[in-house]
Amino acid sequence: MSDEELPEMHSGCGEDAAPYVLGALTDEEHKAFLAHLDSCAICRDEVAALQGVVSALPASVAQLSAPDEIKRRVMGTVNSEAGLRGGGAPVTRRRAARGRGLGRLGLLAPAGALAAVVLAVVLLSSGGSGSGTRVIRAQVTVPRASVSVSLSGGHAQLNLARMPQSPPDHVYEVWVKRGGAPQPTDALFTVSSAGSATVGVPGSVTGVKEILVTAEPTGGSKVPTSTPVIVANLT
Amino acid sequence: MFNPLRSAGGEDSTARLRVLADEELMQLVYRGNAAAFEVIYDRHADAAFSLAYRMCGQRALAEDVVQEAFLSLWRSGARYDRNRGSVRTWTLGIVHNRAIDALRRRNVRERGIVDSEGIEERIPARERTELEFARKDEAREIRDALEQLPEEQSRVIELAYFGGLTHVQIASMLEMPVGTIKGRMRLGLAKMRMTLGDPAEVLQ
Repeated sequence: MSDEELPEMHSGCGEDAAPYVLGALTDEEHKAFLAHLDSCAICRDEVAALQGVVSALPASVAQLSAPDEIKRRVMGTVNSEAGLRGGGAPVTRRRAARGRGLGRLGLLAPAGALAAVVLAVVLLSSGGSGSGTRVIRAQVTVPRASVSVSLSGGHAQLNLARMPQSPPDHVYEVWVKRGGAPQPTDALFTVSSAGSATVGVPGSVTGVKEILVTAEPTGGSKVPTSTPVIVANLT
Repeated sequence: MFNPLRSAGGEDSTARLRVLADEELMQLVYRGNAAAFEVIYDRHADAAFSLAYRMCGQRALAEDVVQEAFLSLWRSGARYDRNRGSVRTWTLGIVHNRAIDALRRRNVRERGIVDSEGIEERIPARERTELEFARKDEAREIRDALEQLPEEQSRVIELAYFGGLTHVQIASMLEMPVGTIKGRMRLGLAKMRMTLGDPAEVLQ
């Protein structure tokens, strides 16, 4: 078939089915076409006919091994969340590494920097990026890493860049400190291969003086087992 | 008698989980069973990474896409509907969407030359199953069907599906009307369908 043999289509109908199944519509067109599908049997048939071919396209690419690192990161998060959800899964190891101290993460930062962070007063910056949002730059022990905290409406979000991966069988855990000992949160996370992550701090941070992040065994801990790698002073 | 759908826990159940069909495993994933999810991951991670790498052309970006896609699958297992296709198709659909998002976010557009540093094409010995051989045969058929298309049709399909470009961007790149691009997409896919029959059924 050539372009000249292109079958005539109903005006505006059916012609978006191919770009739709290929993921080639713009966002606006995609939304409009989805709405159109509800009422158009012609387009539904066209989509159904072409979808099978598109679903087969991934098989045409060179088959590669997924790097083990992806599985480690994914399962680290999954096992942590399964533990928090009370899932019946055999979590690889949960709360099993008490007393490991800094673990391997400690090797990622100079000892001096690690010591310094405990006493460090967090750098405060200002910021206002919009209505009622305050941005604080946190103290990080890892060279080149950058962490900011966005505060808005009594809630906080950590924005991490260039953080190293958590050590094997460990995840990062977020803690809040209101005056006494750090309190654990449900926020356990890993970072992307580029070291980035965006993490919401559960609950309100009203009255919270510091937000801390430590590396903990998969599944998280009730009390910190390592020195914080991130400290954000909210006062 | 052991029923893994009832007995989700216990490390010794992992081996037994591996005999379950994907659709049965998804019931366990929905209930928060990490071991069932791990089996799903092991079955489809290579295909997911292969697609992500083909689309992104960068190892780190492809890794992030796969990580995001599987965590999305873990957190949204309830949305899987077996009537709309296999778990593999669903998973690869998530990967495709995530890769498109990543490409459009980062405006990575250089295609064609893919850095293969540290990555080797292979099918590991442990996966030399009948299913893998069948998949390889089908993959060859799909590649052949794509290559048999007129170049102007295969090109727009590849730019759209693997390049993450919209039809508007492709039209601009090729300096052609959007209607022509849409028509080529449709003709190319229709011709592949005639050649392949219903490939999705074979590859489930």
